Amino acid sequence: MDKKEELVIFPKSPNKTYGLMELTKTKSFQVESGPDNTVSSWPHLFFRELLLFMGVFIALMIISLLFNAPLEEQANPSNTPNPAKAPWYFLGLQEMLSWTHPFWGGIFIPTVVAIILILVPYFDRSQKGVGIWFAPERKLANLLFTIFVVLAVGLIVVGEFLRGPNWQLFWPWNMPSPH
Amino acid sequence: MKKNRLLDLLTNNRFYKSVFRHDYPDNDISRSEVVTGNLLLHIQSVKVHKNTIRTGYTLGLGLISFYLFVILTITGILLMFYYIPSLERAYNDMKDLEFAVSYGIILRNLHRWGAHGMVAFVFLHMCRVFYTGGYKQPREFNWGIGVVLLIITLFLSLTGYLLPWDQLAFWAITIVAKLIGTVPPESILGANLSQLVLGGTIVGQNALIRFYVMHVVVLPLVAAVLIGVHFWRIRKDGGLSRPAEE
Ligand code: HEM
Repeated sequence: MDKKEELVIFPKSPNKTYGLMELTKTKSFQVESGPDNTVSSWPHLFFRELLLFMGVFIALMIISLLFNAPLEEQANPSNTPNPAKAPWYFLGLQEMLSWTHPFWGGIFIPTVVAIILILVPYFDRSQKGVGIWFAPERKLANLLFTIFVVLAVGLIVVGEFLRGPNWQLFWPWNMPSPH
Repeated sequence: MKKNRLLDLLTNNRFYKSVFRHDYPDNDISRSEVVTGNLLLHIQSVKVHKNTIRTGYTLGLGLISFYLFVILTITGILLMFYYIPSLERAYNDMKDLEFAVSYGIILRNLHRWGAHGMVAFVFLHMCRVFYTGGYKQPREFNWGIGVVLLIITLFLSLTGYLLPWDQLAFWAITIVAKLIGTVPPESILGANLSQLVLGGTIVGQNALIRFYVMHVVVLPLVAAVLIGVHFWRIRKDGGLSRPAEE
């Protein structure tokens, strides 16, 4: 512990040559250590980590026992499905492609978004509200990020559920069956 | 302190001590030796802040992403025993996995759903970090590594998507290839880029082997190294973010 930190935790009284530091209930001597709000990783952290792993594995196993991964007919370059869709995580891109020249929606916007994301911490520099979910001091940042998330997820939903043959909009219950 | 008899039997012998090199961790010293004496655990610190293990803080999202990556690596290696990236074999190998290989379909399901899950959980993890302000100084750089990891996760999924060589795979990648071809100036950069990615002008054998090598060697390696850096930076940045102490 450095001197400054020590003086904060154990303030010195100028009138006394002795001091009671603190009585703590532990299994070992606590010399020169103040209260620090930590716990030992074993067992507190590692058991939680192990538990989480088992949870993840069991959940994934259950899903894999219940649902089979899709496998359609063998690839056939002469038989174009209508619509042909990218995997869901790229459907936001595919949706934007359909609006303008594909370069803007498919390459330019994603690249700009990635660069902005990387630069976020260098713009948003205040230390207020760190470590707190939805800190009230960070209303603007949270609002902007939420707009980004809603747009990203929204475009994927449109691409996945509302786009039918020829990339036309349909309600899910009116969606013509493919081919 | 009274010791559990069974525990004593298990831990108080030469074999246990030759493996773990410390007593059963029931005091502060051997608890720290659990961490410092173990190759896999010592990337973590001996002590963690209480906020770090609060379930409601991280929701475990980063760790879930990591676990899915590990499960994907293991199931992916097993799948490599059955899958050959050639136009003649690829699709039939998928059918064999479903109908001929014992538990092959479960292996494939684990890998497929795990991959979808990883994309989703990495994104959710990013949202957690943002909404808790976890990217503020000194963690700016680790956030940047995270963004790159998200992109690599997407590319891992995308390159894997082609491998079954079914209609879904073929046409999805055809869309992506067209997309790459639109980088201006199209006739120079776009055309060359899609040539580079596909190894030709169509999604065929050359594209399949390129996607395969990216999917099983290059991208996993880059991801593993970056995850290593990501974890190391968490330590160097002083553990996870937490509210300022009073
Ligand atoms: C393969 C993908 C990733 C893996 C395996 C991963 C893993 C982890 C893990 C295990 C943690 C510890 C805390 C927790 O569990 O939440 C963490 C923290 C962190 N991650 Fe990731 N992560 C990934 C992607 C990302 C992404 C996409 C971002 C952001 C764009 C990001 C930014 C961060 C930051 C800034 C921290 C420190 C947070 C804090 O101190 O509160 N990571 N990551």
